[in-house]
Amino acid sequence: MTNPYVPLLFLAACGVGFAVVSVLGLSFVGPRRYNRAKVDAYECGIEPTPQALGGGKVPVKYYLTAMLFIIFDIESVFLYPFAVAFSKLGLFALVEMVLFILTVFVAYAYVWRRGGLEWD
Amino acid sequence: MIASLSGLTTEFVATKINYGAVLPMLVVFGAAMIGVLVEAFAPRAVRYGAQVGVALVGLVAAFMAVVLAVGHQGSTLAGAVVIDGPALFLQGTILALSVLSVLAMAERFDGIGADAFTAQGAAAPGSPQESAAVRAGATTTEVFPLTMFAIGGMLLFPAAGDLLTMFVALEVLSLPLYILSGLASRRRLLSQEASLKYFLLGAFSSAFFLFGAALLFGYSGSMDLGVIAKAIGTQSGMDGLLVPGVLLVLVGLLFKIGAVPFHSWTPDVYQGAPTPVTGFMAACTKVAAFGAILRFVYVGVGDSRWDWAPALWAVAILTMVVGAVLSITQTDVKRLLAYSSIAHAGFVLTGLLAFDRVGVSSVMFYVVAYGFSTIAAFAIVSLVRDGGSEATHLSQWAGLGRTHPIVAGAFAFLLLAFAGIPLTSGFTAKFAVFSAAIGHGATPLAVVGVLASAIAAFVYVRVIVLMYFTESGGDSVRVVPPSILTSAAVTIGVAMTLVLGVVPAPLLDLASRSALFLR
Amino acid sequence: MSLIVSLAAGAQNGVHAIAPSLASADNPIADFSDTPWWLSLIKALLVFVFLLINTLLVIWFERRVIGRMQQRPGPNRTGPFGLLQTLADGLKLAFKEDLTPKNADKVVFLLAPMIAGAMAFISFSIIPMGPVVSMFGHRTPLQLTDTPVAVLLVLAVAGVGVYGIIMAGWSSGSTYPLLGGLRSTAQVISYEIAMGLSLVAVFLYSGSMSTSQIVASQKSLWFIIPAFFSFLVYVVTMVGETNRLPFDLAEGEGELTGGFHTEYSSMKFAMFFLGEYVNMFTVSALATTMFLGGWQAPPGIAAINDGMFNQGWWGLLWFVIKLWSFMFFFVWLRGSLPRVRYDQFMRFGWKFLIPVTLLWVVSVAFIRGAQLAFFGESTRTATVIVVGVISLIALAAAWLWEGQHEAAAVPAERPEEIDPFAGGYPVPPMPGQRLREPSQQAERSLAGSTGHPELSDQEESRG
Repeated sequence: MTNPYVPLLFLAACGVGFAVVSVLGLSFVGPRRYNRAKVDAYECGIEPTPQALGGGKVPVKYYLTAMLFIIFDIESVFLYPFAVAFSKLGLFALVEMVLFILTVFVAYAYVWRRGGLEWD
Repeated sequence: MIASLSGLTTEFVATKINYGAVLPMLVVFGAAMIGVLVEAFAPRAVRYGAQVGVALVGLVAAFMAVVLAVGHQGSTLAGAVVIDGPALFLQGTILALSVLSVLAMAERFDGIGADAFTAQGAAAPGSPQESAAVRAGATTTEVFPLTMFAIGGMLLFPAAGDLLTMFVALEVLSLPLYILSGLASRRRLLSQEASLKYFLLGAFSSAFFLFGAALLFGYSGSMDLGVIAKAIGTQSGMDGLLVPGVLLVLVGLLFKIGAVPFHSWTPDVYQGAPTPVTGFMAACTKVAAFGAILRFVYVGVGDSRWDWAPALWAVAILTMVVGAVLSITQTDVKRLLAYSSIAHAGFVLTGLLAFDRVGVSSVMFYVVAYGFSTIAAFAIVSLVRDGGSEATHLSQWAGLGRTHPIVAGAFAFLLLAFAGIPLTSGFTAKFAVFSAAIGHGATPLAVVGVLASAIAAFVYVRVIVLMYFTESGGDSVRVVPPSILTSAAVTIGVAMTLVLGVVPAPLLDLASRSALFLR
Repeated sequence: MSLIVSLAAGAQNGVHAIAPSLASADNPIADFSDTPWWLSLIKALLVFVFLLINTLLVIWFERRVIGRMQQRPGPNRTGPFGLLQTLADGLKLAFKEDLTPKNADKVVFLLAPMIAGAMAFISFSIIPMGPVVSMFGHRTPLQLTDTPVAVLLVLAVAGVGVYGIIMAGWSSGSTYPLLGGLRSTAQVISYEIAMGLSLVAVFLYSGSMSTSQIVASQKSLWFIIPAFFSFLVYVVTMVGETNRLPFDLAEGEGELTGGFHTEYSSMKFAMFFLGEYVNMFTVSALATTMFLGGWQAPPGIAAINDGMFNQGWWGLLWFVIKLWSFMFFFVWLRGSLPRVRYDQFMRFGWKFLIPVTLLWVVSVAFIRGAQLAFFGESTRTATVIVVGVISLIALAAAWLWEGQHEAAAVPAERPEEIDPFAGGYPVPPMPGQRLREPSQQAERSLAGSTGHPELSDQEESRG
């Protein structure tokens, strides 16, 4: 086996095939009895609101989380090659990486102090 | 980057870093980070002073580092950064202009925070949160670290030795500017609209740049400008990648200088952004972007210029004509200056199209001259007020020459410089670019440039006439007495405009001495 | 998240480019050269079936164990010991009506469970489940595949799996799923950072992201010892990642009904359910691989008979034992801990786990540096000094933190007697407090001896 990603595709095909067959195929097995209340949005017995909160828009707070996630995820993506090649890189890379982490910590401190990490 | 990785031999070799050469950028970014920490930990009362101090000290220190870096020229960081004559000249220019911009931004008249910036950028205009922030005495002192980050990107932009570094620099300088444009304290909606427009169009242009860089990478197998230049000499039969690649990268760069037809953001953003930020964008962004274009065109793809120079010719002609003609119809001072800056971008492109060392030096001289004048001009615009908000409509400037002769006189002088009247820096600069164009086979461009200058001169003279020979419409318009900060910015700007017009020789010499790119 | 995936691809290119030059230390050690494609296909099917059967078992296991913990038998009617309970439940789900709410975005609503279900399986392909064995006449490792960036691949696939959650929440066109999906996404991505950072310490020790290489480098010492803090962080984050109690805020029944899958029924719901359990297996298998020596026998047993128990199919046994002890841990957590509050959960992730894990990574880098003679030839002395300095700093930090806490923890003034309706809604008394009976109070205000005039006002307005 030359390409290591081919077996990966085999397993992915198993997973996708299973998901598609069970969701699409088995949906015909169950009964179908129409009832207007059944296809309404679920809301604990009260009359459902016509649209989800804010018309399905995502509260802006979550974008902040997403941005922070990207910053830190990129940081760890940078840390991975550094960690893997650590023994060949030597002291220089260690110092550079500490500087890099410090730089990210500056932004982190700012976000923390400005309340970007508060949830209610 | 990938190419440089595969070029590794058996052992990992740490890249040599010439710290002396990159010191200016390190200083500026360091100052920006200190600014972020100040913002995080300093109490609100001391933030303004600390931020202005950190920014100014950082800029001055970086300027000194640029002077020191003259002895450290060369390519460093594995060719990603090239510190040579043009890079150092432009970095020095950016830092000098930035000092003036920061001075203008720091103006607070008698308020608690910088006057041009809103108390809380995130609050919706007119919302309870906004008034609460104003009551609580909130100030947006983040503008100073943001400006420093933008300046850092600008320093890297003309020194980028490969397209990826250039792209990173482009983003580093652009992202803070998008935010800064949305922070005006008055006419918040206009400001936010400007910010969003700038952001969306900027994102488009970045995509163009990246696409072009990808094509050039496909053509030459490298992002490095030097390797691309070599490939143009040896590679054959891949012009289908080369020419579109060059043009797409140029689109990304021309967007930043506001050349027609990529100019449509300029008037809106210049109008909506806080006025000192507009001055900063008009001066420093242009310097950095022209530096990047110069490097890309002269170092990278100059040998294939017969294939794409006609397009750049068309852009230059369009930019001059459209900028000059449309400025006639403007009724808002900031929009007028925006169209004027578009026209000026066209004049600079004329010099660039000389494809010669003289062209480089004339472009560099032009951006210095224009930068000083434009920062001073926008600083003056921020002083003319009508009941608290800026009086930017032209009719409000009528009769200003009689009520406030000094300010009006300075503004008139700057307009004359924009028009290119002798004894101002504008004349010397225009003379330099047009003579460079004529001397190297771009005479038609120079002719168009002179005609466009004539049209633009009409506009400027009209404003001067309005200020001096028209009765003032109402007496609510007045000039707010500036503090030492804006006064200094305006004084230095006007003085430089005069000095470069009367004795341009030292700077012209310096420009032509440092006009040689390291290839 | 697609950004991260593309970054992963980029990093992978880079690693491939370096690979020939940097010897082969970071390349997979598992040898797939004697594995024809049809054998890979069979192995893929086996992994798939392994996961399905384990899922069926673990659901039964969970219900039985929780039942025991709560002093009741749990499901015991369907088949021997109730073993077929999950199968029966699954079949029943298939015969239920498949509802699509009328507000739903039909395509996305359909796509979300498929993504959640399908993505869960992929990561398992790089998990080494045993050493080289003989299968159908070929010598092949008990591992589907391995790449130089195998662990990164797990994180990337986990990132794609989050799409299932957010798409399900958004496309349902209903309030609870939207909120649940957002919460769940924010939670998963927040804990993914700490998880990713905790793994950096392992890479520092193994010098590779290939799972087979990581297992091989734990031959003498499992990474749970030198990277113990990473292990603790990983265990916390893996619970957060899989939305399990005590971190199952996305489907907190009391607040959000079912969270993002409120509107799902029948097999679509089953896909989310399946995905969650398969994800539990994946994170547990990764924990086994990264920290517990993978398929290798425990230290004592490994020494018996010249490493006999580290050969062939024995590896699978150790792997399954380790995997299932993590599953028991998951169940144990569910049986004993209450759900945390969302803000506490996020605060813990962002304000504690991330910075502390980063500091831990830096410390490990310094310790590794000392071991690799970055700070001079006498590695032992350097290591001792570095460890000493780090411990001192950690102690000092802990001491400062403690001091701050004590200063902050001044006991608040607590009145002896409280009015349960003071805030407008009933509040239970704290330990040692007396409830003021409304009847007493009414008497008092009638008698005119008012201790709290505003309280009696409220009484009147309520009465």
